[in-house]
Amino acid sequence: MSKRKMFFKMITASLVRRRSRMLVALLAIAVGATILSGLVTIYIDVPRQMGAEMRNYGANMIFMASSNEAVFDRAAVEKGAALIPPDQVVGVSPYRYETVRIHEQPVVAAGTDIEQVRTTSPYWMIEGDWPSVTGDMLVGQDVAESLGLGVGDTVNVMSSDDSKEKDSEDLLNLGVDMKITGLLDTGGSEENYVYIAMEDLEGLVGPGELDVAELSISATADELSKYVDTIDAEVEEVTPRLVKRVTESESTVLTKLQALVFLVTAVVLVLTMICVATTMAAVVAERRKEIGLRKALGASDSSIIREFMGEGLLLGLVGGIVGAILGFLFAQFVSVRVFASSITFQPLMLPVTIIVSILITGAACLFPVRNATKIDPALVLKGE
Amino acid sequence: MFIRMIRGAFARQWKKMLVIALTIMLGTSLATAMINVMLDVGDKVNQELKTYGANITVLPKSVSVMSDLYEMEGGGEDSGSYLLESELGNIKTIFWAFNIVDFTPFIDASVTLPDGESVPLVGTWFNHHLDLPTGESLDAGLKTLRTWWDVDQGEWIDEQVEGTPENAVMIGTVLAEREGISVGDTIHVQGPVKDADLVVQGIFDAGGDEDSQIFAQLDLAQELSDLDGYLNKIEVSALTTPDNELAEKAAKDPKSLTIAQYELWYCTAYVSSICYQIQEAITDSVAAPVRQVADSEGAILEKTQLLMVLITILSLIGSALGITNLVTASVMERSSEIGLFKAIGAKDSSISGLVLTEIIITGVVGAVAGYFLGFGFAQIIGHTVFNSSIEMKPFVIPIVAVLMLAVTLAGSIPAIRMLLRLRPAEVLHGR
Amino acid sequence: MSLLELKNISKIYGELKALDNINLSVDNGEWVAIMGPSGSGKSTMMNIIGCMDKPSMGEVLLDGVDIARESAKNLTAIRRDKIGLIFQQFHLVNYLTAVENVMVAQYYHSIPDEKEAMEALERVGLAERARHLPSQLSGGEQQRVCIARALINHPEIVLADEPTGNLDEANENIVLDLFHQLHEEHTTLIVVTHDPEVAEVAQRTITLDHGRIKSDLINENFGK
Repeated sequence: MSKRKMFFKMITASLVRRRSRMLVALLAIAVGATILSGLVTIYIDVPRQMGAEMRNYGANMIFMASSNEAVFDRAAVEKGAALIPPDQVVGVSPYRYETVRIHEQPVVAAGTDIEQVRTTSPYWMIEGDWPSVTGDMLVGQDVAESLGLGVGDTVNVMSSDDSKEKDSEDLLNLGVDMKITGLLDTGGSEENYVYIAMEDLEGLVGPGELDVAELSISATADELSKYVDTIDAEVEEVTPRLVKRVTESESTVLTKLQALVFLVTAVVLVLTMICVATTMAAVVAERRKEIGLRKALGASDSSIIREFMGEGLLLGLVGGIVGAILGFLFAQFVSVRVFASSITFQPLMLPVTIIVSILITGAACLFPVRNATKIDPALVLKGE
Repeated sequence: MFIRMIRGAFARQWKKMLVIALTIMLGTSLATAMINVMLDVGDKVNQELKTYGANITVLPKSVSVMSDLYEMEGGGEDSGSYLLESELGNIKTIFWAFNIVDFTPFIDASVTLPDGESVPLVGTWFNHHLDLPTGESLDAGLKTLRTWWDVDQGEWIDEQVEGTPENAVMIGTVLAEREGISVGDTIHVQGPVKDADLVVQGIFDAGGDEDSQIFAQLDLAQELSDLDGYLNKIEVSALTTPDNELAEKAAKDPKSLTIAQYELWYCTAYVSSICYQIQEAITDSVAAPVRQVADSEGAILEKTQLLMVLITILSLIGSALGITNLVTASVMERSSEIGLFKAIGAKDSSISGLVLTEIIITGVVGAVAGYFLGFGFAQIIGHTVFNSSIEMKPFVIPIVAVLMLAVTLAGSIPAIRMLLRLRPAEVLHGR
Repeated sequence: MSLLELKNISKIYGELKALDNINLSVDNGEWVAIMGPSGSGKSTMMNIIGCMDKPSMGEVLLDGVDIARESAKNLTAIRRDKIGLIFQQFHLVNYLTAVENVMVAQYYHSIPDEKEAMEALERVGLAERARHLPSQLSGGEQQRVCIARALINHPEIVLADEPTGNLDEANENIVLDLFHQLHEEHTTLIVVTHDPEVAEVAQRTITLDHGRIKSDLINENFGK
């Protein structure tokens, strides 16, 4: 039998046959590694997840017509939005505001893409339902109140007088019957408008330019300003601007949240690692007698340290693997519970967790083993 | 003799005891810090979310819908379209006054520049000092309500600084660029009723409609329209509890609630109940949540709190396992001692009592030290992240104490029972 | 020349003189018993001979080398190569089987050889118990494993500290029979004991008292 084989036989025998003690040590390492891999995975993923939550504040970039002659239409908006990585674009809502008449009263109607609005203005509170087909209409609460409209009403919407003059077709004067599917409550000026599909608006007043487009983009403040510069330079039809209220506040809050998770992770990790180290130290210190015996049998200090470290490193490896897996599962659980989305697997966390576990275990074993080797073997062997 | 044995154990095994005490201390400090941070994180994050600005707007009841829609100047002259400046302080007298962190009045006017262009002028507070009827005082204004404004040129107006001229104004970048106005310029404007010379003290970039507006001090704007003591709008920033079903039901119609539900709703800091209370405090007003801010705030608060709760649970489980583990290991280590006691005729109960007493004394020492260490950690987190202290809730102490006791006993009792089941000869002889 | 020679050895712990000017020489192949009451210095002497401790004064010549002057590291090497230790409490590694315990000594000495280790166990009559853990062996069996371990590297001196202290009479006899065999193979044996029966079977009996040699007698009945 080779020396190396005997080495492995000794350390595996120690791990397998001293089951209860080794379980104690393994449990400590696995708990430490779980916390390490779980918290760090969460820490890395929190900005992304929280950033997605922050999109609840709605649009953080708007496109406006530029001062030149270029036509600001949906094609122009799409051209601009195409310059942003598609996986970061949460939603793009074009808006065109025109005055129409409902019950002979002038009302501002916004033509838009309702599906997109739901993503760029997730905070809109709708009494009733979101419009789903053309011919449906969403009415701001203030408009509804002053005109006496309610959910389910069907109203006749006509283009206002000035647009009628431009267009002589009689069809437009008759207006269109539209169904109110919901009332809009935002606590802001949106309550003074009605929202209809872009096609309906074009049908009423004819084609025309957009007024504004709202974009919700899941990106950092730096990336956002980079996109603004690119779009400004490359798409002449569009003047992009950041909604500072949203972007600046978002980066402030995100920074704080990240700092919070960072510090919490740091504190928990430091304390846990010390815990792991004390447990390992206790487990090793218990074996002083065995160390004394090995010395008496003629083992050199270095070979004793090598054996115990081998044992510790093996424990660190196994504990690290178990912990890395459990930690990922924990992070996944947290992510699903808190953010209702699955966490990004950080492939780097696996080796990092294992290496850190091995290092901590190694360091925790090294000191007590070295201390034990300094002891006179005679003293250890004497006392029962 | 019992005490003597305990004393002996501590005197001779102090190193081992120290390791146990150290571990319990770390566990306790972790539990203390995490639970306190978790409990306080809602308030702290809520404060941070105030950077998004006001979450409640208060408008006059009979404000003309059409006026806002067409941005018609001035609005009607009847007093019902205005809020009263004299009632502003009432906001800080409502049930949830403590949760109102900021509020600022606005009065809109439209002024005409010398070149004939009409520009919106908003009268407001910038950094106004307010003495409340309750004896408290408050600094409120745009400076805290518009944290996202970049004042690149010039500076913020601060009413509290001596010598700030009454006609100092701030203007938006878009307007400044269009009209070629820079800091220090004097612009003459014609208001709806009077005219005035304005001194530009700062140019801001708000990234919105406000970039083409003039912001003046409240008194000046009121004078221009001859509307002394009147307001168009109040923005309120309040710390709120995320809405639930009850709050949504109440928001639609508070009268639909039972008395018990009503009381619960009224006495919880839901955005709807705060709005309701503001309406009670200010005559002819409608207070409505700004959905963009209030809803998002609720969502983010909830997520953050849940995140912290889960992290706290993980770290509690971690430290509980760590302590249980170590205590078990240290009891097992004493197998020969326990076998010896049995061999010389000690009763099981007295052996358990001895070992438990030792461990509990160690645990108490560790836990007390750990509480203070945890206090320190919580404050480090609070000051580093939020620049304010974490409130240490006293009821956390018994929770942590019970937790640690349970964890320590859970670690030692099974181990002791296992050792007691062994025959003394076995323990003494073949390890 | 003697295999082991102690010259003017003293060991002082503070006020206490554990060994007081001891002179002793042991020849190759001799079987020596060291006797004396508790506190007479037996253990100290055994530790010094076993390279686990150094004298405060004097020389210890093992094979002509003064081990009192050697570094701790060299002492470990000397112990490994020249000395086989047998303990009262056996001191087996409790998670290794009997044969593995023997192999540990080979491992530290040179190369583990399971066949050789099995032969050593066979010799002490434990071949069929080789795969058992110490906790599954009786006291006598454990002591025999300990003896097999002490012999495996063919040491120049086998040093036994109260080898029969924890054994019943039957096992004591087995162990003493083994000592006889070793002696016949010219192994040098130093047995520390306070049991006169164990001392009686040795070739030479040295009695210590208060750190001094009280008597040094050749056993006339030896071999009978």
